[in-house]
Amino acid sequence: MSAQQDQRRGGAPILEAPILEARGLTTGYGGALVLEDLDITLHEGEVLCLIGHNGAGKSTLMKTLFGLHPAEAGEIRLRGEPVTGADPKSLSKAGIAMVPEGRGIFPSLTVNEIFEMGMWAVGVPEDERAERRDWVFSILPVIAEFRHRRAGTLSGGQAQMVSIGRALLGRPRILLLDEPSIGLAPKLFQDLLAPIRELQQREGLSILLVEQNVREALKISDRVEVMKSGRMIWKGLPEDLADNSKLMALY
Amino acid sequence: MLWLQLTFTGLQVGALYALTAAGFSLIFGATRVFHFAHGAAFVLAAYVFYWAETSGLGMVAGIVLAALAAMAFGVAMDRLVYAPIQRHEGSFFTVFVASFGIGIAVQNVLGMVFGRSFVTISTGLSRSVKLMDGVYVSPLAWIAVACAGLFFVALLLFLNRTHVGMALRALADSPELIRAYGLDPRRLSSIAFALGSLLVVPSAVITALGSGLNPTLGHHVMLISLAATIVGGIGSIGGALVAGFILGLAENLALVVFESQWTEAVTFAILFLVILLRPAGLFGRHATR
Repeated sequence: MSAQQDQRRGGAPILEAPILEARGLTTGYGGALVLEDLDITLHEGEVLCLIGHNGAGKSTLMKTLFGLHPAEAGEIRLRGEPVTGADPKSLSKAGIAMVPEGRGIFPSLTVNEIFEMGMWAVGVPEDERAERRDWVFSILPVIAEFRHRRAGTLSGGQAQMVSIGRALLGRPRILLLDEPSIGLAPKLFQDLLAPIRELQQREGLSILLVEQNVREALKISDRVEVMKSGRMIWKGLPEDLADNSKLMALY
Repeated sequence: MLWLQLTFTGLQVGALYALTAAGFSLIFGATRVFHFAHGAAFVLAAYVFYWAETSGLGMVAGIVLAALAAMAFGVAMDRLVYAPIQRHEGSFFTVFVASFGIGIAVQNVLGMVFGRSFVTISTGLSRSVKLMDGVYVSPLAWIAVACAGLFFVALLLFLNRTHVGMALRALADSPELIRAYGLDPRRLSSIAFALGSLLVVPSAVITALGSGLNPTLGHHVMLISLAATIVGGIGSIGGALVAGFILGLAENLALVVFESQWTEAVTFAILFLVILLRPAGLFGRHATR
């Protein structure tokens, strides 16, 4: 990992704190632990792919990092500053956005309304909203075509695009993507994530990506961690995972 | 001319039902709380207005106080009754029973304070004016219909044009996702309760000025609101409004054929027919959720 990081930074040693970091994170539901003493580090400008079977705790980790689920123990730091227990609104303002699992849209609202409400929710100033919307349309141009439609009438791929677009409206520095490809054809996956990878590389976004579709996800990731029963059991580079036939067979 | 007279009376009654039902529908649609105490908000507002009027505070102060009382009651129910139950994974029925209980308690307290018999405020507004031979309409009827129209347009504009309105519609879709967007579902829920409860105020005031009040009126109002919400289609505020008018009209037009004690039976006949023939309601978008 560090070799790649060093290379990207022109060999300079990494001194600054990771952009997002959790140490000893423990949480669960009603006494049953889902995350147990988990450590995770997301560096500035990288795409970290998190893989693991259903029930490994990936979604719970995402929710805990974004303040949607309380941490029972451990610490979360954003650029070195503790943010454990912060709510999604303040984390959004601090530059994190989350694309939740499933269709992250409201079926009875139009796409325009979802965008408008999304920007209002995270406090985007009124005079910047039109510009932000156009910026998202420039990244995911198809959205502009169905912006007046009710989100409930969109296809799975379109809905996911709107969900990602909405997350981008706050111009986050960190994007938490929870299974964006679920229910989508592999071709759609590339249509969806290729523009995001492009944006990420252009603007140095940091992305934590949870995916079941491992092969496709590895193509756009800088690093991979494998999660099982609430802990990390393997970490490395995408090509190492691809070479590791035992792990690849598992996931 | 009897049917024409009854149509006018039906429109007045329907307008009052429509607004109350729209309030219940707004609360139920956004929060999924079966707010049975909505009827209690209605009688509370009506008696606060009655008290203000009879104490000589004047009509405007009476309306303002009634509005504040209804809104405070709705928000208090949400914060102090429903929120604690929901925090402990309270089921739909636990919430319903709590609401039902508070509704009865409010009704009895009002009965103790103001007495259980009918009270009314006499104004010139409720005096019928001859429209044509055999048809008499009071100014209050026109006020009721105008209020229903005005409040409904204001509500639609609010829900479609403001951010809070959009968020309330979104809350109905998914409270979980609302949090992921960085909004607080609890605060939105309180706003839904405040607004939904505010919608009972015109009906409460007009009822106090017109046909008169007694503490048990809350049950009837609740029954009608519920029937209108189902007939109109759950989640459709416009549907509840239209259904409120339909029920008010039907109740009165039925008098051409039936005795007056059968009016509630007419409401339920309509409710059953709609459930049988169109389970999603007249304007329901989702049959199930």
